[in-house]
Amino acid sequence: MARIRAILGSLLLVFRRESKSFGSFGTNNFFLMSVLALGAAGAFLYLIMALVMFFPMSTDPLRKIPPSRLNLWPLSSRERWVLRVASPWLNPLTWILAGLAVWAARGKVTFGLWAAAAGVFVIGFIAPSFPLAPRKGAWHHIPAFPGPLNHLIRKNLRELLSTLDFYCALVLSATVAGFRLAGKLPAEALLPMTVLVVLALSSYAQSLFGLDGDQALTRYRLFPLRGWQLLAAKDTPFLLAALVLTLSMAPLPGMTAAVMALTVGHASSVNERREQVRWRFSSGASFGPSLLQVALLAIAAGTVQTYPLAILAVIGAYLGSTWWFGRVLERGLVES
Amino acid sequence: MISCRGLTRRFGDFTAVDGLTLDVAKGAICALLGPNGAGKSTTVKMLTGLVPPNSGQATVAGLDVAREPREIKKRIGVLPEDLGLFDDLTVEEHLLLTGRVYGLNEHEARSRTGQLLRVLSLTDGRDTFAGHCSHGMRKKTAFAMALLPNPQVLFLDEPFEAIDPVTGKIMHDLLVTLAARGVTIFLTSHILSVAERIANQFVMIQGGKIVWNSSAEDLPRSLEDHYFDLVESPAAEDLKWLGSARS
Repeated sequence: MARIRAILGSLLLVFRRESKSFGSFGTNNFFLMSVLALGAAGAFLYLIMALVMFFPMSTDPLRKIPPSRLNLWPLSSRERWVLRVASPWLNPLTWILAGLAVWAARGKVTFGLWAAAAGVFVIGFIAPSFPLAPRKGAWHHIPAFPGPLNHLIRKNLRELLSTLDFYCALVLSATVAGFRLAGKLPAEALLPMTVLVVLALSSYAQSLFGLDGDQALTRYRLFPLRGWQLLAAKDTPFLLAALVLTLSMAPLPGMTAAVMALTVGHASSVNERREQVRWRFSSGASFGPSLLQVALLAIAAGTVQTYPLAILAVIGAYLGSTWWFGRVLERGLVES
Repeated sequence: MISCRGLTRRFGDFTAVDGLTLDVAKGAICALLGPNGAGKSTTVKMLTGLVPPNSGQATVAGLDVAREPREIKKRIGVLPEDLGLFDDLTVEEHLLLTGRVYGLNEHEARSRTGQLLRVLSLTDGRDTFAGHCSHGMRKKTAFAMALLPNPQVLFLDEPFEAIDPVTGKIMHDLLVTLAARGVTIFLTSHILSVAERIANQFVMIQGGKIVWNSSAEDLPRSLEDHYFDLVESPAAEDLKWLGSARS
């Protein structure tokens, strides 16, 4: 059993290290502003974040060992069986589900809630075991964009879609759309909900290059592209996502808020690149720039709601930011 | 076509490249050789504008590397040390993107992409995301990206490492043909047999300094013998536990 203990010990170490990346929500605008503005009253928003995080947390710890390595190790069938049974318990969600099962048995939570949570967990646990054939994955069906930067924009859209920020905004947007269809959403709630959806996306605008690894930065350095072009290719998917998610609410203020989020976010994206992890919430910049971003996007959305032409000033500021930080990006891409 | 004078690059107290002076003629294939950490990749990075030199001058395709980096980027093809691929793009998308970024129209970009995919046996894996490709496929993709814009100068950092023999032969023949058409090729390699077959200029670098620079005709004996004469081998140590009674 010494071998199993050694393997489980290493797995626990790897799993703990990886779990730390879930803490990125602590500097995410959506979480920070919910805590600051709503406190305990923001329970619904925390629930959305927890729901969105639940799926990527439902991973099989044993998958951290490459299958080829696992097959090469001289383990007996019994040892492999023990490893298979013991490893899921390295994931804290397994213990939470076991606890919920006990509560469900005692009638403290409904069986339906437990079954729903267990179902999501099981899907997340086993889904990676079924790799999709080439051309079958949803990532292949990203639409084409006009112009020479088409594939760069598609790549960036795939990156945006692999952050939890987007899915948090999506759940929020779908919930609002549902309430609206049911006629239960007062008209005056549309603007705040629109701002909330853009807020959920806004931390990503502070870390536009966070999912680009070192190799991607090498390629950016080699391409004969201007800094503003690289920024525009990053901004386009963000604006597209904001448009789609706010279309059923207040699209013009929504787009204004998104443009303002990018205008302010360029500085953090270019000057202080923070590496991000896929299927996590984007970690935002330091508190000051985050507060400024949130305040300005909310003010811009509110102003444009009343004075639609004010969007021209926001667009002007965006163009200035893209030009200026594009130059900063070009200089920064040359390794010092 | 490539010229550098006193090119120096320091990282803190460590001098990676120390006063490199070198000329590579148009249509030449220059192999930059040397042990790990000798300064080969840093040299390539400086010549391609990825890293600025601390001192010295370099011109590529007649342009100053420090003053006209964007113009140079349009004229060179690079296979960088880390390959420079995006995990979220497929093999084919990488090539199409490269074509458009270097100013080709959609039709021409597709046509060249199709040809390179066929020539480098990448057709079957064209829809695979780079993040899921084998190292060999990733290397071939980056090589194809270097060729696609039809560059005047090619910089290839370890092009033959992790490449299967058949593709290696195809790449070798392609490079020889390109050089015959006037394209200058500057490559680094640890595979001496391949370097000896393909290159007509050899530059040996050690500790950031050139220790030997000659044409293929001036090689005193086989490249491998000459290389081992110049490179100091580490002291051999017998690992006695290897092959002994098992513990």
